[in-house]
Amino acid sequence: MRSRAEVRESGVSGMGGGARLGARLRVAGEWALRALVLALLVWSLALALSWGGKGAVERASTETLSEALVRWTTVAGPERVHVAFDHAPSLVERDWLAALVGAGTQVSWSGPSLLPTALSIEPRADPAGGAEVSVAAPAGAVVVLRDTVGELDSARVEAASGVRAYIPRPKVTLDAAVGGVVARAALADSLKLGRLLVLGAAGWETKFVIAALEERGWRVDAEVRVSPQTTVRQGSVTAIDTSRYSAVLVLDTTAAAHADRIARYVRSGGGLVLWSPAVDAPRLAALAPGRRRGEVMEDDGRPPSDSAPREALSIAPITGLVPDAVVLERRGEHVTLAARRLGAGRVVETGYVNTWRWRMAGGEDAPEQHRTWLAGLVSSVAYAGRVGLAVPPTNPAPLATLIDRLGPAVVAEEVEAGGGLDRAVLARWLFASLCLALLAEWASRRTRGAR
Amino acid sequence: MSRFVFATAEYASGDWESAPALPANLIDSVARYTSIEVAPAGVSVRLDSDELFNYPFVWLTGHLPVRFTEAERRNLKRYVERGGFMMVDDHNHDITGVFHQTATEEIERLFGKLEQVPNDHEIYRCFFTFENGPPHTNHELNGWGDDLLHPHLYAIFVGPSTGDRRRDRIGLLYSNKDYSSEWNFHPETKRTMQQDPTKFGVNLIVYALTR
Repeated sequence: MRSRAEVRESGVSGMGGGARLGARLRVAGEWALRALVLALLVWSLALALSWGGKGAVERASTETLSEALVRWTTVAGPERVHVAFDHAPSLVERDWLAALVGAGTQVSWSGPSLLPTALSIEPRADPAGGAEVSVAAPAGAVVVLRDTVGELDSARVEAASGVRAYIPRPKVTLDAAVGGVVARAALADSLKLGRLLVLGAAGWETKFVIAALEERGWRVDAEVRVSPQTTVRQGSVTAIDTSRYSAVLVLDTTAAAHADRIARYVRSGGGLVLWSPAVDAPRLAALAPGRRRGEVMEDDGRPPSDSAPREALSIAPITGLVPDAVVLERRGEHVTLAARRLGAGRVVETGYVNTWRWRMAGGEDAPEQHRTWLAGLVSSVAYAGRVGLAVPPTNPAPLATLIDRLGPAVVAEEVEAGGGLDRAVLARWLFASLCLALLAEWASRRTRGAR
Repeated sequence: MSRFVFATAEYASGDWESAPALPANLIDSVARYTSIEVAPAGVSVRLDSDELFNYPFVWLTGHLPVRFTEAERRNLKRYVERGGFMMVDDHNHDITGVFHQTATEEIERLFGKLEQVPNDHEIYRCFFTFENGPPHTNHELNGWGDDLLHPHLYAIFVGPSTGDRRRDRIGLLYSNKDYSSEWNFHPETKRTMQQDPTKFGVNLIVYALTR
């Protein structure tokens, strides 16, 4: 009986040259397969050691997140989790995920439908109260404002500037919903309003400005010049400072004597509303957004309409704008409202010189519209002390805080590829590759008669 | 800025134009004593027209019975509520006269009871000072009309009653003193007068422009 070695040698030696070359290649292939199997085994060992016995990426969606968080924290203890959001997570869920990160779990998230949204609510410096609301969201998005009682209003974002709104009677918190993102903000403080000081010559504009602001609830001091020797005073006009006045309103050049005090007041944080005729006084012009006054364009006597009341008013256009001036309103090519910062204070200048006609000759709602408009001018610059309020937890910019806590979003598919190959899938592929390589090597040996 | 324009109210009944020289005398006094920008001539404006609201100071006088139309009533109420100032003066200076009886009836029908203006009210001090309240007219002192010296004026008070403000702004001022006769002289006459009788008229206008 021949030994196994003899059979192998006789098999080879009994072949022709071509067959011998093929047999050698086959043997070399078998060695290559053995090497591949060995490499795969080493890789498997390395993976097994690095995985530490834990499982693959754990996944959750917005709907399943609350259950998944409990499981991940108490039972599963996964090394990697991925959450696919179609709504922004609640504060608890967000912070829970952040806690998982802190505990060593790799957390990734995706949410292509989540739109960046930010909400701000500030108390208005106005005795009538209310709050100014600003919402930043992508152009075209629909913003829905709601409070604890229900929906307040909705608006489409027309431009990059977002949406602004005035809420007369705000609740403690306000929500702005943009798609699946709900931003929540709260009034963090209330305002302590001072008085107003009105300076001007005797005239209808002065009279009706004072009347409108008093009707709005402001306490008004006034100096109204009647003649070079006579000034009608209301209240006690003493120091012009932020401890007494929230804003100073200057209607004309009669306030020039106070210009230095007004300048100090504004630079220390006070608010100034200037009627454009006041800039005829150089020392008042130095404070103004526009350094010159255009020729007065008289109105044609039409009653101001309810829809566009200021169109029917006389204007003295604001010209000679300083570089830091911001134009707030125009009529055609003429600037009618402009503003600037000056030191710590703010200045707004109006080119409307006879707004009293709006109140007297306008439509049914004209007096209220006039009061509201004037109060808006004042509140845009007014200085007001702030009193902090206790507020509930808020989330004024959900997407930004989510990124801050968990890092930027990943594309869901990336979790499957690259550094995120699913371990179960990888293990299956490894096992199949090993089996195939072993089978091929074994089959090759057996078919050539070797063991 | 808008100039002050002296406006006289035209109303459908009565003789609204009974003191034609008065506007010029008051305009002269305002220009003489103050730096208020004032139009050199007055206007007359229909009480039932939208134009009324372009003139926040209006003078109304007459001798005859006053019966406002519905449009006049509507406008007058809106005018005062929006901040306009109307001076109503009884050209008869007669509390039993037809103007007084009908005009006060119309006013009280629209606004409620006319209230007595205290003689220390701001209207007597806002420019010239009248320690004893409204200055008497020659017609009162000479015993014409009702032969009374009227010590007070009467008013409809308007304005907010919250904050620092009481409901203390005069929206409509009513007088039995016949300033319409007192100030309805030829302008040249003022040069011969020892005392200018229109000074209280300046106070009325200053008050209207500042309150």
